[in-house]
Amino acid sequence: MTTPGQSEGDRARDEVLAGEYVLGVLSAPKRVEVEERIRRDRQFALIVRRWEQNLSSLNEEYEIVAPPSLVLPLIEARLFGEAQSRTSRPLAQQLWTSLALWRGVALASIFLLGGTLFFTSQQQEARPVAGGPSLVADLSPQPGIGTAAMTLAARYDRTSGRLSLTPVAAGAADQHSLELWMIKGNDPAVSLGILPADGQGSVTIPDKVRPQLSEGVTLAVSLEPYGGSPTGSATGPILAVGRTRAR
Amino acid sequence: MTAAHEEFSALISKVALRDRAAFNRLYSLAAPKLFGICLRILKDRTDAEDALQEVFIKVWHGAERFSASHTSAYPWLCAVARNHSIDLLRSRKPVTEVLGDDGHDIADATLGPEEASLLQSEGRRIDRCMQELDSERALAVKKAYVEGLSYQELAEHHGVPLNTMRTWLRRSLLKLRECMDR
Repeated sequence: MTTPGQSEGDRARDEVLAGEYVLGVLSAPKRVEVEERIRRDRQFALIVRRWEQNLSSLNEEYEIVAPPSLVLPLIEARLFGEAQSRTSRPLAQQLWTSLALWRGVALASIFLLGGTLFFTSQQQEARPVAGGPSLVADLSPQPGIGTAAMTLAARYDRTSGRLSLTPVAAGAADQHSLELWMIKGNDPAVSLGILPADGQGSVTIPDKVRPQLSEGVTLAVSLEPYGGSPTGSATGPILAVGRTRAR
Repeated sequence: MTAAHEEFSALISKVALRDRAAFNRLYSLAAPKLFGICLRILKDRTDAEDALQEVFIKVWHGAERFSASHTSAYPWLCAVARNHSIDLLRSRKPVTEVLGDDGHDIADATLGPEEASLLQSEGRRIDRCMQELDSERALAVKKAYVEGLSYQELAEHHGVPLNTMRTWLRRSLLKLRECMDR
């Protein structure tokens, strides 16, 4: 990755350092240093990511070895807690109970409004949750190689419960819908509704969800079949993702 | 990209949205390979089992960051397993910093203008580029990657001074990069 002001010598140095990191020959302190740089230097992160992809055919050298069966339950217990381990439950049961209702309402509004997609809920007219500062989030594709799908600016007005999105740069979406999700901690993503195909628009956050939509939650936009995910979980690629922060 | 690899990407997208069934499926598909990686690098079964746990916890937490990056998922999963195992290895068996590392061996190195090759899948091209390297050096690159060896261990394996090994590998990396950019 050549950036303006960077000499070819610098580029060679970065390529070598990234390659050394991916090969794994560096010492522990040097690896920590490089990982630090990956986090703050997007260009350098791309170089590392590219070496990972380039050298990935060497992964064929590794054998396939079945791990002992106790490992997965241990991982799930650590991530989700013993009592909440839900891996044996069917996918449908993992949906937040009112999600289907919300999607139904969203779909109904599509028909009613002849293609103007927006999300609403029966609680829309309910008393707004008390104020606090507005939240904002920049949703963008994260560092990595590839096509930047879209970049959105989100703003959540706690008083009205309205979350507005404006595309900064959007890709074509054709016969698809953009679905907005909220992710908090380790809980399954909650659909916040369908956005118009260009990503511009706003959704009203139902009262139930408002207490959860706080600073630090993740908002993500995924590309779904027209009308939204048929399963209640995201089925398409995530186009943009970002965390909310107080404004 | 194979269908299996596409499934990995789709599963990671779902894991990013905290879909536990997808996580479970991802584990059943990827764990045997990632366990093989941990085992090969750490060379101890108990350590590898612990490492595998950490690796999947990192996958759960890192999926969100990864899934929007549109790179292929399988190399990323392998990288998480390799990086964790290598970090563990290095922290247990500290290697001395390469003394007098003034970067002289790459100071005069330059790379030609970069091709717009970032989007291309270069997985297979590396094989051809490895063949352009001196065979002993290609072996050192491969061994470093697969076993997670440090410069010091590689130097011992090949019976050459540490600085020589470092120069070998750095020059090999530059040659590989040049070959890949062609």
